[in-house]
Amino acid sequence: MIKEDLQELLNYLKALVFDIKTNAVIPQKFAADEDFLELDKSLKSIRNATVELSAGNLSYEIQGKGFVIGSLKNLQASLRNITWKTKAIATGDFSQSVHFLGDFSDAFNSMTQKLASSILEMKEAQEHFEMVFHTIPDATLITSMDEGNLIAYNKAFLEISQYTEAEIRDEKINMFNLYISRDQRGLLLEKLRKDGFSQNMEVAFQNKDKEKIIGLISSKIIKIEGEDHILSVIRDITPLKKIEKKLQESEERHRLLADNAADVIWTMDLEGKFTYVSPSVQKLRGYSVDEVLQQSQEELLCPGSLIYMQQGLENAIRSVQNNQPFNVFRGELEQPCKDGSTVWTETTVSGIYNENSEFIGMLGVSRDISERKNMEEEIRKLSVTDKLTQIYNRLKLDETLEEQWNDANKTEIPFSLMIVDIDHFKFVNDTFGHQAGDIVLVELANILEMNVGSVDVVGRWGGEEFLIILPKTDRGSALLLAEKLRMLINEKIFTKVGKITASFGVADYNKDSSPDTIVFRADSALYKAKENGRNRVEYL
Amino acid sequence: MNSKRKYEFSWELLGDIEAGRPNLGNTTRVEIYRLMQFTFRDIIEQNLGSRKTDEIFFAAGKLAGKEFYKHTIRHTEDLNDFVNQLQEALKDLGIGILRIEKTDMEKGELTLTVSEDLDCSGLPETGYEICTYDEGFISSLLESFTGKAFEVKEIDCWSTGDRTCRFSAKAITEMNQEEQI
Repeated sequence: MIKEDLQELLNYLKALVFDIKTNAVIPQKFAADEDFLELDKSLKSIRNATVELSAGNLSYEIQGKGFVIGSLKNLQASLRNITWKTKAIATGDFSQSVHFLGDFSDAFNSMTQKLASSILEMKEAQEHFEMVFHTIPDATLITSMDEGNLIAYNKAFLEISQYTEAEIRDEKINMFNLYISRDQRGLLLEKLRKDGFSQNMEVAFQNKDKEKIIGLISSKIIKIEGEDHILSVIRDITPLKKIEKKLQESEERHRLLADNAADVIWTMDLEGKFTYVSPSVQKLRGYSVDEVLQQSQEELLCPGSLIYMQQGLENAIRSVQNNQPFNVFRGELEQPCKDGSTVWTETTVSGIYNENSEFIGMLGVSRDISERKNMEEEIRKLSVTDKLTQIYNRLKLDETLEEQWNDANKTEIPFSLMIVDIDHFKFVNDTFGHQAGDIVLVELANILEMNVGSVDVVGRWGGEEFLIILPKTDRGSALLLAEKLRMLINEKIFTKVGKITASFGVADYNKDSSPDTIVFRADSALYKAKENGRNRVEYL
Repeated sequence: MNSKRKYEFSWELLGDIEAGRPNLGNTTRVEIYRLMQFTFRDIIEQNLGSRKTDEIFFAAGKLAGKEFYKHTIRHTEDLNDFVNQLQEALKDLGIGILRIEKTDMEKGELTLTVSEDLDCSGLPETGYEICTYDEGFISSLLESFTGKAFEVKEIDCWSTGDRTCRFSAKAITEMNQEEQI
């Protein structure tokens, strides 16, 4: 059993330690004891300090001395120091660290380092964003969603808007003022509220000087301090629009030129399909543009020209494949027309390249050269036609003879020729005049022309002499034809002159060393016919 | 007067320890430091009395603080940076663990503690504050940093039964001087 006064002391001390509120009075017996009073004072100080520290009151002045109170003061000093350090960290001083507080030091320092690295990352991210924001070549700005107030902007925005920083600072600008039509901002807001973003919306702005600016605006809703704002990037496409308009006008002009040109202008892709044909093709070939666009190459060109054109284009394309420039192709092509006729065109084809200098197709111009072709044909005809009789002249006969001789030399298929000479033609001229003689020559030429084979060539050899070349004809057949012709002439009543006769000298190819030797033999045969009484056929 | 002085302090007097103590290095035991300090106190007190002894130790602390600041602290005008440097230096040199409890530089008031203090931690309880050298040392450091004179008073000390030394520092301004009067 503990003595009653000691029990009272214990109850008093227990109340000090365990009770929330204590009205305990110092036991009478110890009330005057200095050691107990000192202990009592320290216990109460410890109790009060513990209560205050547990409540977070660090400014409480802990009274007393001694190990336990000193330790409490040390704890208070640590907490005060941590508070001070935390405040320093809150101002951005991440150099603060805690030492000699065991696990707490590690936890606190890890938190500070993490906070520092997070803040650094955020700062770097912010700096990066600001750097991008300010250096982006397009006008970039942040505005409040509803009021349209300008919160942030970059240099490109100042350039495009013509406003100064001072004017923006003084709130002399609002996004509403920049839109030429406020409806467009309404449309943008509508899209943003619906999708949260908008891309490349074409909008007409006006700068400070009321100049119109066409911009492509891309926007996104962002949160700043909990409020909706709009981050926008405006690409100024005003110069592009001007160029586009000029290009459009230029294209229209060129299209107008192409559409109205007499020449047919066309473009073709690498697969050989037309991508454009000017309407003048209808005048040239009778086909409409749509019909031509559907035509195959065989329908576009006559066979001879198709081969020629294909070869030319193949060569040109091969050059391109070998990294050489497309050689401009020029050629005369014959094209079929809708009415069944053909038309000759002079066609020039050059390469089309894109901006990377890659060959992407062909541009062609086809000009109608029918008239020129006809004239050339006329000239060619005239050059081989005898003016009086309208049959071939000596030039054509020489050419044909040379060809036949060459062919015969190669193929050994014989050919024959005959020389026809009007008997006593000098008498005709002297008696009836040269005009009558000329008529005889024309009428006789007609007899010859009308009665030889389609491949036989009849020409005036000179004076009253005619030469007939008979391809792939042996001597027997030649003699039969000569005899037939002689009879026809003999029976013919010539205008003004009446009856005349002609003598024939026939020769066939006999491995002659030159065309002249055959002619010589025919001429000798003619001489023989004349010698033997005229109006007859001889051969050699 | 100066030309006749024999013991005027200069940082060079600390000597080339690396060369001079190639084997023992630049550390010694705390007891030896305290042995020297408390024997000094004893002899000075015997010759000049307690008050003068305290004054001498305070003044020596001030001189040490001034030289220490000059040679150890990198110039800064930022309080936190200054405190960090000082904390690091005091810790590295084994002088004590400095902790700031409160600062109000507008008023020129600071409360700081030094735990595991070189001078007093672990001393027997004497009933009076012993860190007069520290008071001078701290006041001089603060003066060097702020350019203002500081009065530093030790309010808790190991030797009075506390576990850490707490110092209250106040800039000596005209107002503060009036308060003191």
